[in-house]
Amino acid sequence: MPLNTIPAENFLNREYEFKYLKDLAELKGNALGGNVFLEGARGMGKTELLKQLYRFLYWEDGVVPFYYSFKTANLKGTYFARDYFTGFVRQYLSFAKKEPAIADNAAEPLQRLMPVISSLGLHWLIDCIEDFQEHLRKNDFYWQIVAAISVPVVAAQKSGKPVIIMLDDFDAAERLYESSLGDAHGLISLFGESMRNRLCPHVITGSTGALEAIFTDHSLIGMTEQMRLGPLPEDLAAALFRAHLAHLKVACAPGAQLKFLDILRGNPLYIRNLAKAAWKMQKKEFTEKDLIECYAFEVTEGETAFYWSSVFNRYVPNASKRKAMLKLLMHSIENGGMENGAQLVMVSGLGEAETAAILEAMEVSGIIRENDSVFQDFIRCLYLKEIKGREARDVREKIELKYVSAGEESRFELVIPMSSNAELVVAKAVEQIGRNIHLDPDFLNYLQLALIEVCINAIEHSGSYEKKVFLKFITRPDKLEIIIENSGRPFSLDSRTEVPVEEKLRMGMKRGWGFKLVYAIMDSVKIERINDRTRVILIKNITDKEVLQ
Amino acid sequence: MKSVQFNVTSRLDGDVAVIYPKGYLNNLSGESLVIECGIYIGKGITKIVVNFSETDLINSIGISMLLQIIEDLRNIKGTICCTNMSKFLRDTFEMLGLIKHMHVFPVESDALKYLKAGKA
Ligand SMILES: Nc1ncnc2c1ncn2[C@@H]1O[C@H](COP(=O)(O)OP(=O)(O)O)[C@@H](O)[C@H]1O
Ligand SMILES: [Mg+2]
Repeated sequence: MPLNTIPAENFLNREYEFKYLKDLAELKGNALGGNVFLEGARGMGKTELLKQLYRFLYWEDGVVPFYYSFKTANLKGTYFARDYFTGFVRQYLSFAKKEPAIADNAAEPLQRLMPVISSLGLHWLIDCIEDFQEHLRKNDFYWQIVAAISVPVVAAQKSGKPVIIMLDDFDAAERLYESSLGDAHGLISLFGESMRNRLCPHVITGSTGALEAIFTDHSLIGMTEQMRLGPLPEDLAAALFRAHLAHLKVACAPGAQLKFLDILRGNPLYIRNLAKAAWKMQKKEFTEKDLIECYAFEVTEGETAFYWSSVFNRYVPNASKRKAMLKLLMHSIENGGMENGAQLVMVSGLGEAETAAILEAMEVSGIIRENDSVFQDFIRCLYLKEIKGREARDVREKIELKYVSAGEESRFELVIPMSSNAELVVAKAVEQIGRNIHLDPDFLNYLQLALIEVCINAIEHSGSYEKKVFLKFITRPDKLEIIIENSGRPFSLDSRTEVPVEEKLRMGMKRGWGFKLVYAIMDSVKIERINDRTRVILIKNITDKEVLQ
Repeated sequence: MKSVQFNVTSRLDGDVAVIYPKGYLNNLSGESLVIECGIYIGKGITKIVVNFSETDLINSIGISMLLQIIEDLRNIKGTICCTNMSKFLRDTFEMLGLIKHMHVFPVESDALKYLKAGKA
C-alpha cells in the first residue's frame, strides 16, 4: 500500500522536509535527534510525504521503512496488535526481497511466509512470531500489544539495520481500547520504549497541536522535534492544479488566471479535489467562473464535503450530537470563536455535560482549530442543508453568488486609538477608499459623517480599557460594508431614541443625534454584541447615483 | 486653548457679527463657536451670520452646539443666518430639523443685505 503513490516529480515543494527525513536514521544513530512529529492541517500532504519517503527507502537498502496508518485501523487492542504485528512482518519481508506483493497481500496468513523467512535466515523473526502466537493463545491482551509494538525494535537490533517507523494519524492511537471505547487510556504510552531506541527513528503525524494532547509523558515530547507542513506557495498551487487538469484532459481557457484558487490556501488535497470536480462536471474550456462553480459543488456535494463529513462521523458518530456540533461550529464561524460557555450550551441545544463532550471531541479531532475558508464554507453548506433544510442546489447557488461578486472585492483594515480627532483619520481613509471606487464626493461626505459618528460613540461611551477601535472596509461593485468594533460597554439604546429639535431646545439637551444620522445615511445598520465587544456593521448599497459619472 | 481659538475667526460688519468656523466642526470648535457668539451677544449684538465656507467635516456634537447659539439668540430676539453651506451640510441640518430655526443664504453678502434691510 505505501508504495502506491504519486510520481516523485509530481510531489511539489517538500524537498527540504524529504531530505531531512531521509537522513533521520543517521541523526538518531548519532543521538542528534531522531523522532519527528510531522504536523499540518488535514490534506496538507503528511501521508504523501511518508509515502514518498517510504518508496525512496524501500528501493535503497540502508534503512527499513515501516508504515502504519491509524486512521483506518481498528482500534480494539487485540485487532490492532495483530494488524500491526503482521503488517510489520510483511513489510519487512517485502523490503528484504524487494517484492511489493508480499506487503500488499494482507489476506495471506503469516504461516505461508515461513519459507521466505527461513530462506532469508531470519530466525529471530520466527521466534518473534512464535512468541506472539503464544500471547494470542494465552489471550494476554497487554503482551500482545507490547510484542506488536516492539517487533520493529527487535528487527533493528537483530539485523543492525535501522527501522524508520512511520505512524500516520497517530493521535487516533489515543483511543486504543481493550473491550469497549475508553476503557484503556494510556496504551499509547507503550510506544515510549520503541521511540527511545537508537535504531528506530519515528515519524508520527497528527493535526496541529495534537502532540501535547496525546502524550501525557513529557519525556516523549522532549525526544520529539516538530516539523510543520505548510501550504504550497501560490504559484506551485496553481501549477499543481493545472497539472491535475491536464492529467484529467480538461483544457484551461486561454488567459485564465485562476485567481480564485487562492481560496484553497495551497492545500494539495483541496487542489486535487477541485480539479476532479472540474472533470466530473465535464468542463471543457475551464474559466475563472467555472472554478467558482466547481468549488461550490465541492463544498456542498463533492469529495471535499464528503471528506469532512467522514471526519465528523468518525469523531462524533451520533447524528443528533453531530447536529449540535454543526450548530457550535456555525456559531464559532459567525462570531470568530467560541468563548462563552453558557452561550454555547444554548447554541448546541443540549445539556452542559453533552455540550462539553462535543467540545472535547472537537478538541481531540482538531476540528476546533480548523479555520480555513474551505472548511468554513463546508460548515455553512452543511448547516443550511441539515439545520435549515435547504436544497443542495440552493446552497450551491448561494456559495457561487458569494464569490462571483466577491471577485472584485477589496478589503482595508484600520485600527485607531481612542483619542481625540482619531476619527478624522478614519474620515480621511474612507474618503480615499471611496475615491478608489469612484464614489461621488458629496456622497463621501455623508459616509464620513456616519463613520465619525460611530467612532465618536465608541470613543466616548464604551469605557474600553483597550482604547482601540477596529475598522474593516469591504468594497464590492454593488456595496460598501464597514465594520466597526471595540470592547467595552454595550451600546446604549438612548443614543438611538429620537428627540425633536424643539424639545432639545427646551431641555437644553444637545446630544444624541449621532445615530439618527447614521441610520439616515446608511442602507443598513446592524449592532451586534459578542462577549464584551460591540460590533456595528454599516452597509451602503452603491447605485448609479453614488458613482461619479 | 490656542489651537481651538484658531478654528474660529470673526468680524463685525456694522451691527452684524460674521463668524467663520474652520475645518472640522466638532465639540471643541463648536464650543469656541458658542463662546465667540457669546462675546458678541454680550456686547449687545443680535444679528449673527455664520459663514460655513471653510467648514469641511462635521460631527453631531459640533452641530448640536449650533443649537446653543440658536437658543441664546432666541432669548434676546436676535437672528441667525447661515451661509455658504455645502449641499451636504444643508441636507444634514435639514435631516436634523435645524433649518427651520435659522435663515439660510447661499452667500454671506445676501445675508448681510437681508439683515441690513432691517426686516429681521
Ligand atoms: N507536495 C505535494 N505535491 C502534490 N500533491 C500532493 C502534495 N502533498 C500531498 N499531495 C496530494 O494531496 C492529497 C492529500 O495529501 P495527504 O497526504 O493525504 O494529506 P494529509 O495526510 O496531510 O491529510 C493527496 O492526494 C496527495 O497525493
Ligand atoms: Mg493523512
